[in-house]
Amino acid sequence: MSVVELENVWKVFGSRASEAMAAIRAEGLGKAEVLERFEAVVGVKDASFSVEEGEIFCLMGLSGSGKSTLVRHINRLIEPTSGTIRIMGEDIGAMKSEQLRATRADKIGMVFQNMALLPHRSVRDNIGFALELRGIDGYSRAQAADRALETVSLHGYGDRLPSELSGGMQQRVGLARALAADPEILLMDEPFSALDPLIRRNLQDEFLGLSQNLKKTTVFITHDLDEAIRMGDRIGIMKDGEIVQIGTAEDIVTAPADDYVADFVAGISRLKLVSASKIMVNPDAHAAAHGPIDPAKSYPVASPEDDLDSLVGLSTGADLPVLIKHDDSIVGIVTKDTLLKGLQGGAEA
Amino acid sequence: MSGAVIGGGAEQREIDDRDVSVGTFLQEKVPYYAPVFEKVQRATLPRWHLNIWALLVPWLWSAYRGVWVLFWIALAIDVTAIVCLMQVVKFSPLLAEAQLNPEANATLIARYSHWINIYSWIGVLLLIGGRLWMASSANRLYYAQYARWRINSAVPSGVSMQRLVLGVMVILIVAPLTTYRATQLRLDERACFNHIRAAEGVEALLARYDASDVTDLMSILSGEITQRETRMEALNAIETLSDEQKSERAALRKEARDLGRDLELTEDFTNITARDKFDCYFIDDFPTLARLEPPEDITYRRVPDEEAIAAGREGATKVIEQIKDPVEGRKVTIFTYSAESIDISINYLRAQFAGGFDAMTNVLRQSLIRVEVAFMQTPWLVVAFLFIALSWAFAGLGTTIFVASSLGFLALFELWQIAMQTMALVVVSTAVCVLVGLPIGIWMAKNKWFRWITEPILDVMQTIPSLSYLVPAVAFFGISQPPAVLATVIFAMPPMIKLTALGILQVPESTKEAALAFGASEKQLLRKVELPMAIPSIMAGLNQTIMLALSMATISAFIGAEGLGAIVTSALGDAQAGKGLLAGIAIALVAMMIDRILKGIRNSFSRI
Repeated sequence: MSVVELENVWKVFGSRASEAMAAIRAEGLGKAEVLERFEAVVGVKDASFSVEEGEIFCLMGLSGSGKSTLVRHINRLIEPTSGTIRIMGEDIGAMKSEQLRATRADKIGMVFQNMALLPHRSVRDNIGFALELRGIDGYSRAQAADRALETVSLHGYGDRLPSELSGGMQQRVGLARALAADPEILLMDEPFSALDPLIRRNLQDEFLGLSQNLKKTTVFITHDLDEAIRMGDRIGIMKDGEIVQIGTAEDIVTAPADDYVADFVAGISRLKLVSASKIMVNPDAHAAAHGPIDPAKSYPVASPEDDLDSLVGLSTGADLPVLIKHDDSIVGIVTKDTLLKGLQGGAEA
Repeated sequence: MSGAVIGGGAEQREIDDRDVSVGTFLQEKVPYYAPVFEKVQRATLPRWHLNIWALLVPWLWSAYRGVWVLFWIALAIDVTAIVCLMQVVKFSPLLAEAQLNPEANATLIARYSHWINIYSWIGVLLLIGGRLWMASSANRLYYAQYARWRINSAVPSGVSMQRLVLGVMVILIVAPLTTYRATQLRLDERACFNHIRAAEGVEALLARYDASDVTDLMSILSGEITQRETRMEALNAIETLSDEQKSERAALRKEARDLGRDLELTEDFTNITARDKFDCYFIDDFPTLARLEPPEDITYRRVPDEEAIAAGREGATKVIEQIKDPVEGRKVTIFTYSAESIDISINYLRAQFAGGFDAMTNVLRQSLIRVEVAFMQTPWLVVAFLFIALSWAFAGLGTTIFVASSLGFLALFELWQIAMQTMALVVVSTAVCVLVGLPIGIWMAKNKWFRWITEPILDVMQTIPSLSYLVPAVAFFGISQPPAVLATVIFAMPPMIKLTALGILQVPESTKEAALAFGASEKQLLRKVELPMAIPSIMAGLNQTIMLALSMATISAFIGAEGLGAIVTSALGDAQAGKGLLAGIAIALVAMMIDRILKGIRNSFSRI
């Protein structure tokens, strides 16, 4: 079941948003025309995607691409101009305010780029905030908070003030706060962007480890493609409020939907992303060009799912091409030329 | 020389190509200005390099070229110089008149010649020096403008007839009137008022005698006077007068006198020359144009309602109106009209809502009494101990020593009880400020429209002179402590409101968003996020409110506030400097004690 589902979500900002929306529907206006005619800004343009249970879905885009706006539709911090958002099958737009608040507190945890911790409360009280809003008693709150602190390896920091903690620790508190109410869904709005590269890397790894255990459905926002590739099971790339491509990291790197995405992925190392199946040459075509495979020789062997990194390992020092075998039959061949082209990208283009 | 292009679309402008951009900016006389600009840039333009046009007609040149800075400076210098020279014109005839009788007017002659001397020197120096400065600075200022224009194309550039016309209009408005004024002596204050009175009187007379114009009126009046004088002479000729005749003569004399006065008024009116009128309208003060009938003089009084009392309602009262006959022919200015109308409204409100005002006064008085009891009847040792303990617990050794010595000062100078009275007043005023100000501040932060309405009101509350609302406070509440509290509240509340609103508005949007994302309701957001985070700001507001309340102690003493302020006011009345000064120092010490202790409490509780 899809835990988060967005269907044709539009967001138009401005006092004449609904007029503008109607005009967009009727006449198919572009962004510039909408701005000129209605002084309205299209923040999100016809976005649809769904996130499966336990999946990490990354929304990637440059600043101003509408990714933060879009993620705020999921817990209805921003109302869509049109479109439907369903949380575990329930239309969040139709909820009454009391129900909406309950959903926010119990089902959706959110982590913010600038942490947004309450400076006058201790770390423990910050983490217990969502529970406090739900009227949970102090004792249970403290226990839940300490559990969450343990999860993010900040045991013993409960009585500190946020200002006494480093940026990385503060963001762990932010994460603990989001986890404390044990929500099904995590919304992470550029959680690690403001941190030093080393700490960012640490937290990324830690979060990946955590989510393997916790299996939270996560929507993860980032402007960093490397981070998106590391974190995301699937990636949605946004540009000017529009989702231009959704797919796995490999899909996006090997088959970018347009020049914009292609530009983006141009600098990404393909070593760990691209599998043998994407670059291998059909055995018959290989035979036609280089002669048949000599069964007497010992070819290096790999499977279609192996990444280019392991193919490089196999090819180094060997004179013979790598055989790609699936269930003991040869499904493809990778020569050094093919491998080099594959690394460079564009072999399949 | 290829030019880089900046700006988009129609605003494209070549900036690197000096010749082109200087040409666009100058529009005229490029061969003269381009090298001059280069010299200014190289700092090789000599100080004595003069711009001829700026020397001869600096305001016209700068208006034409759009160098408004120079335009205004030039206008100011030249007009000042001319005003100085005009003093010579003003004093010369006076000097000549004085010299007719040199012995009697020796001082006057010395004074006038001294003034004429000084003013003519200043005028000439200003004129010559000013012009030299303008001519030498014109090109530099012009270059500075060019530099600004390259950054911002809205800066005036080129030459423009429109600007020239505008400049001439400005000069025409400023220069001739000012020059003329400088030649004139100060007007008699009453002269203009008398003109208006004469005009009004003549208008009334014209109507009364049905005269077609002023000449007609004068002949009618003279005729009437002659007629009465003839009759009086006839009566005078009679040896013995009957009583009736005597009274007729007296009446005639009075009539003749009144008519004579009317005639005089009319003559005065005809003597007003066009120049007198001009002087009244355009020199010195703004002319009082509107003269209105005064508002009806109504007094409202609350009296026992006999009918209702007869009907069994004991102590019933009602409001009655008393209208005074208007003074005939009285005309008032808009200011007087409004002031009198406000008086009447206050009078009405006071009579109509007496119960409400009395109730409010009572609540204030009762709470004040309770607090005064707490402060004044608690033994001095206990109060002193509490103050010292508080400062020791929260504010450290330095403050404790300060508080102890301040208390010592109050005790030694026998001001203890009186200072406690002042404290009670401050406590009650501050309590009202917090009770009223905090909700208003929260509402202000939450509602844009309310903020938009309240902000100017708060500014008025803070800036209106406190003495001017003491008067209505007295009108509504009489002279006693409660109106003093109210006046203090009006003066001291704005910072409480403003800083509460500010503190809430300063809570970062992202923090509020996070709270909402975790399911906070509006109420929870206010209670758990906004108010706690606004506390430092609210405490600063409280502190300011207390300080302002103390600074009102003296002023509110004018309407019956007791305490240290009352000593200052009475010292002012009796011109006893020492007494006033000592009481003043006591007020300052009380203020500083409270301030220091509060700051200590704030610092030790504030977790942000």
